[in-house]
Order: sequence, then C-alpha cells, then structure tokens
Amino acid sequence: MKKSVSFEVNGQHQELAVAPSETLLQVLRDQLRLVGAKRGCDSGGCGCCTVHVDGKAVYSCMTFARSLQNCKVTTIEGLTKKDELDPLQTAFVEQGAVQCGYCTCGMIMSAKEFLSKHEQPDEDQIRHAIAGNLCRCTGYHKIVRAIKIAGQTTDLAGE
Amino acid sequence: MSLASVKEYFAPDGTEKVLELLETYGDGALIVAGGSFVHGLDARDLLTGVEALIDIQNLGLGQITLEAAGLSIGATVTFSELRQDNEIQTATALGAVRDALNCPPLQIRNVATIGGNIAAACPYFDLPTALMSVDGVVQACGPDGTREIEMQAFFSSLFQNSLVAGEFVTGLLLPPLPGRSSSAFIKLETNANDLAIVNVAVRVSLDESGICQQARVVVGGGVAETPIRATAAETVLQGERMTDELLQSASAEVPSDLQPMSDHRASAAYRSAVAKTLTKRALARALARLD
Repeated sequence: MKKSVSFEVNGQHQELAVAPSETLLQVLRDQLRLVGAKRGCDSGGCGCCTVHVDGKAVYSCMTFARSLQNCKVTTIEGLTKKDELDPLQTAFVEQGAVQCGYCTCGMIMSAKEFLSKHEQPDEDQIRHAIAGNLCRCTGYHKIVRAIKIAGQTTDLAGE
Repeated sequence: MSLASVKEYFAPDGTEKVLELLETYGDGALIVAGGSFVHGLDARDLLTGVEALIDIQNLGLGQITLEAAGLSIGATVTFSELRQDNEIQTATALGAVRDALNCPPLQIRNVATIGGNIAAACPYFDLPTALMSVDGVVQACGPDGTREIEMQAFFSSLFQNSLVAGEFVTGLLLPPLPGRSSSAFIKLETNANDLAIVNVAVRVSLDESGICQQARVVVGGGVAETPIRATAAETVLQGERMTDELLQSASAEVPSDLQPMSDHRASAAYRSAVAKTLTKRALARALARLD
C-alpha cells in the first residue's frame, strides 16, 4: 500500500506517495525525473546511483524511500548552484574524467562527501574513497586526478 | 530490488509495537534498518513470502556506550558511526573490529548497521568474524523479554540465526578482555565491494610475562556454514609464548577445523590454504599492535 513520505530533495520539499518496497532511486528517476543518479547494477555493487541522504553518500538503489521521512536528499543536480558548477564537476570536465559518463554522477557524489572530510587527500586515500564506485571505462586515472585537483581547491568549511 | 510480495512498510517508534508486528506477521515479517543486504537476501530467494518490512530505526537503538559490562552497541548503529567511536579507534583489543569496519565502501558503511550485519547470519560478512574474536554477545528482545546470546551460538547455519519466533536483535555487547589483549582481522576479496573469499580474525590475550592466557582464531568467508572458531589452532597458542614458530604451527592447524565450500569465488582447497596463511599474518599483525 502506498503511503505519503515527506522529505527534501535538493532543497525542495517533496510529499510523495511511495510503495513499501520502492527505492529512493525509483522515486528520483520515475517520480521526480531526476535522472542524474543511474540505475546500473540495482544491487549496491556499482555506485552509479550514489546520492546523499543527510550529507552521507548512499546507494539510492537500496535505500527504501519510506525510510526517508524528514530527510534531506541531495543528488548531482543539487550540486550546481545558480548555474555554477561545483568545483568537483568543473574538475571532472576539465580533466576529461567524465568519459562515457555513466559512473560520473555517483563518483562525484562519493567524492563530495569524502572531500568534505579530508583536506588535500593523496591518491591512495582517493582510491579508497571511491572503492564503492565502478567505472566500466576503467578510466580511473582521470577520475582520481580530477578529485585530487578538486581537493586542492575545495575549502573544507565551504558547502 | 523487486520484493514482489511486500505489502507494508512499518516504522514503529517502540519495541512493543515491533513485537506486536512480529507476532502478527510471523515469517512474513522482515526487520530492516539500513537495508543494504535486503537485495542480497532477495537475490538468494530468502525473502519469498515476506509481506511486511519493519524498520527499527526509530527505536532509539543508535547509541554506543562504554559501561562496566563492556562496550554496548545499539542494533541500528551504522558502520560509519562505530568506526568513529573512540574505543573502537584506540583499543588494541578491538583492532580486529577496526580492521573489519574498514572493508566495505563508503556507501555501505554509511547505512549498514551492526544489528543487521549480525542478524543476517551471512558467513561471507566481515564484521561477525571480527566480533567473534572479541567474544561479542548478541542482545535480543522477544515476547519473553530480553536475552543475551554468544555469537558462536547465535549463528546456526547458512543465513540462519538462532532467534526464536518473535525475537529481534537489539544490540551487541563487547565485554572487557583479559590481560594485554590484541586482535586483528584480514580479508581476502576480489574487489573492494566483494564478499570475502576467506576472512580471519585473531585475538591473543597475554599475561604480564607474555604467556598467552586466551586465544581466538575465527575464520569466515565460506569455510563453513557460519564463521567458526579454529579451536585446534587456539589450543596451540594457549599457555605459550608468542614465537614465530608457534604462530606457524598454530596456523598449520587451522584447516583441520574447516569445512570449506567450493563455489564461483574459490575452491575448497584454496580457501583452506588461504585461511592458514591469513591466520599467520593476522597473528603477526595482532602482536605488532602490542609493541
């Protein structure tokens, strides 16, 4: 039976009717038409559905939407402020880290939480931070480089 | 996620309400918290007939407290939260727990809960192996009140725990350990997001003269239907001084206690061989922590 859940997505209040086993990913893509988070493996193994719930990176494909009452969800679409890209997004563009693009939104959302807690991380730390995200193009070098560059320019206190 | 038979999602705010729902739905109820292994259970056809999901995140079971009886960890404490706990970060005795908590990726650590990880009784999980090495005790609540169950007794077989109808896991207790205790955990996996091929947790508790008073060697990851204690190896360590030769001969005993499975991840023979090697390394790591 569907029930109403009220939560925030990218700063906007939402009140949606949600089925018991419906996932956050389904709600984002099918109801809210926010298609940045991708449906890859749909089983918490690839990371391309990663979004933030209350500031923490989660796999939206295994998050029950009904568990989100009063939570704050941020998706890749919510990182862009007034048409200005987040420093991570800029770094991905400039370093050519997007490649086919399928993993990108998840990679950035994982890196976003990581960079909010680690100042100027080294390559090893970055590789561990994105261990839950797969890039099927296997272009990890550019991704790691982009995160490193963003980490050098991101102010920890910011955002 | 399909979960085709699910009709209800409850998020009760009291233990009594959970017990009522468990009574009403019986085998058709599934307790959930972070939800990170629900897909894993579904994919193994272990959720057929589940009609009601009971989310226990509003029960106030998210606390970690250091008490005389030990470190008490609520069922809905996440890996990320436990990993940030001062006792977990600093206690030499809890090194194995620290190691195991580092294994899963960020997105899992942020949602997976201690209670769920234990209750799933999955032999390939990391934390149960580590928790068994430090004599963790599972706390459960049911229609007849609360009770404590040693982890070894808690895991009964593959994906089966020893809870009786109407009971659910409310927390975990890590009791104080004797002497100078140190533990370590090592996992073999194919990639960062994979279940263990083999994992090993060891703990040694030494007296003042460096003699081993108590030893635990626990092996998981498909070496039996549950994580198990390699008691033959423990016996070799007990009452002895920790020399390189002793670690070698203790590790050599590990395969005698295993009944490893062969599957797409590894053969039984490989699991046995790896368990022996990982035990030796884990013992060395635990001893290094005492220096």
